[in-house]
Amino acid sequence: MVSMIKLQHVSKQYTKDSFGLKDISLSIDAGEFVSIVGQSGSGKTTFVKLLIAEETATAGTIVIGGWDITKISRRHIPFFRRQVGVIFQDFKLLPKKTVYENVAFALEVAGESRKRVRDVVPRVLEIVGLGEKMRRYAHQLSGGEQQRVAIARALVHRPKILVGDEPTGNLDTINTYEIMEILKRINAFGTTVVLVTHDKDVVNKLHKRVITLQDGQIIADAKHGKYRL
Amino acid sequence: MVAIFRTIKSAFQDVMRNMSQSVTTVSILVLMLLSINVLIVVRFLTNEASWVVKNQIDVSVFFVPEASDEQVAEVERYVKSFPEVTEVILYSRDEVFDTFRTEYSDNPDIIASLEELDDNPLGPTMIVKTRDPKSYENVITLLSVPEYEDIVVAKTFTDTETAIKRIDRITSQVEKFSFALSVIFAVIAFLIIFNTVRTTIYAHRVEISIKKLVGATNWFVRGPYLISAAVYSIVSLSITYAIVMSSAGFLDLHIGLLFDKPALLSGYFSAYVLYIFGGQFVALLIFTILSSLFAMRRHLRV
Repeated sequence: MVSMIKLQHVSKQYTKDSFGLKDISLSIDAGEFVSIVGQSGSGKTTFVKLLIAEETATAGTIVIGGWDITKISRRHIPFFRRQVGVIFQDFKLLPKKTVYENVAFALEVAGESRKRVRDVVPRVLEIVGLGEKMRRYAHQLSGGEQQRVAIARALVHRPKILVGDEPTGNLDTINTYEIMEILKRINAFGTTVVLVTHDKDVVNKLHKRVITLQDGQIIADAKHGKYRL
Repeated sequence: MVAIFRTIKSAFQDVMRNMSQSVTTVSILVLMLLSINVLIVVRFLTNEASWVVKNQIDVSVFFVPEASDEQVAEVERYVKSFPEVTEVILYSRDEVFDTFRTEYSDNPDIIASLEELDDNPLGPTMIVKTRDPKSYENVITLLSVPEYEDIVVAKTFTDTETAIKRIDRITSQVEKFSFALSVIFAVIAFLIIFNTVRTTIYAHRVEISIKKLVGATNWFVRGPYLISAAVYSIVSLSITYAIVMSSAGFLDLHIGLLFDKPALLSGYFSAYVLYIFGGQFVALLIFTILSSLFAMRRHLRV
């Protein structure tokens, strides 16, 4: 299998005594669905920030989809981010833009034509079940719907990798189930999904690979794992 | 081309969808611009008043009654050749006599004395005006030559010298004060613009970070804010222009009478419209754009 994400001896040190991650090495193949679990302060957030080049590692190398992001220049970061879809716990939707505009924005930054934007955005919104609400603003939607908009935005430029940073953290059980079903479908189409979560039920129902972090280090990596903390 | 269109569209959307913030920003900029224009009016009126006062001062050169027309004409030609002289008015002996009689018409003793005389005892008079009151001293010096000692009986500059010096001192102080005030206003204006823009950008900090996380380049994020800054500048200046011109028209009804010029302020603003408002627009645009770029720097580091 082709490695989509590869971390070799990666460390992130904030201060002399404060580490986000300590000497992490792992490889995630194309098309895998991997859950990264751990308690607060275990390094999950640092892991996501490194994956999307929001922070830089203090040691080691990170190669994602062929990009060595430990050596990437600031100028190239936007181009790299267009290859990776990200969804966050707080959705991070643009508040003054409609659902349609939020999703279209991800294509516009990549310089896609107006025709393509008009063709693709409604189709993606149909897939996540928001075709009828594309003219609404984020604050006019429920939490689950906002997360579906975020997923649509993350998927609209067909990324090879989708990173979810606690995407169900702010959702109720039903919405969590729906979001997880969408993520499984996305994975079934071949997209590599990295799900960072501390939701035990979500992880246990997936029966997929689980990497467990504690104090910035990997303490378990199980192919069909469960949440064991 | 598509990127430019999207940037402009996004900027106008931002302005319209953040209406309360846009109104606040424009209001602050208008108030700041109005303060600057009030200062411009004060400076203009001070200069105008100073000019009016200076213009009322002149040098009177009195000739002896025996001075011939040729001698007086020669002095007139000589005085007119001075570069600092702007105007020379010559009154003949008869004109001076008539003016004198009119001035003292209510004094029967003087009128009776004049009647006793067979001939006009007064000589011609020459009024000399210069560009600057400081030049009067020079005119007097140039006239104090041996050739004219016999025909020029008196020069009244010494009577007004103190007044001229006082006016010069006052106008010089006013100009210094006005300049200092302009510098203070410029600093305040810069701080107001910078803080207004910084507050606007700060309110959008989350939006900026989201745009960056979705893959926008720095210029794709900056573009709409820079265009918004230009829109705020244009709208603020248009409102200021309308207020200043209508206020100038209203003030002219009162100030115009004082200076005997019916369209003093509006005429001034119309004559220098490009210089005054164009200058303000360019300065405002540069300040708002630079402030936007500076304020965004921190939030773009995502």
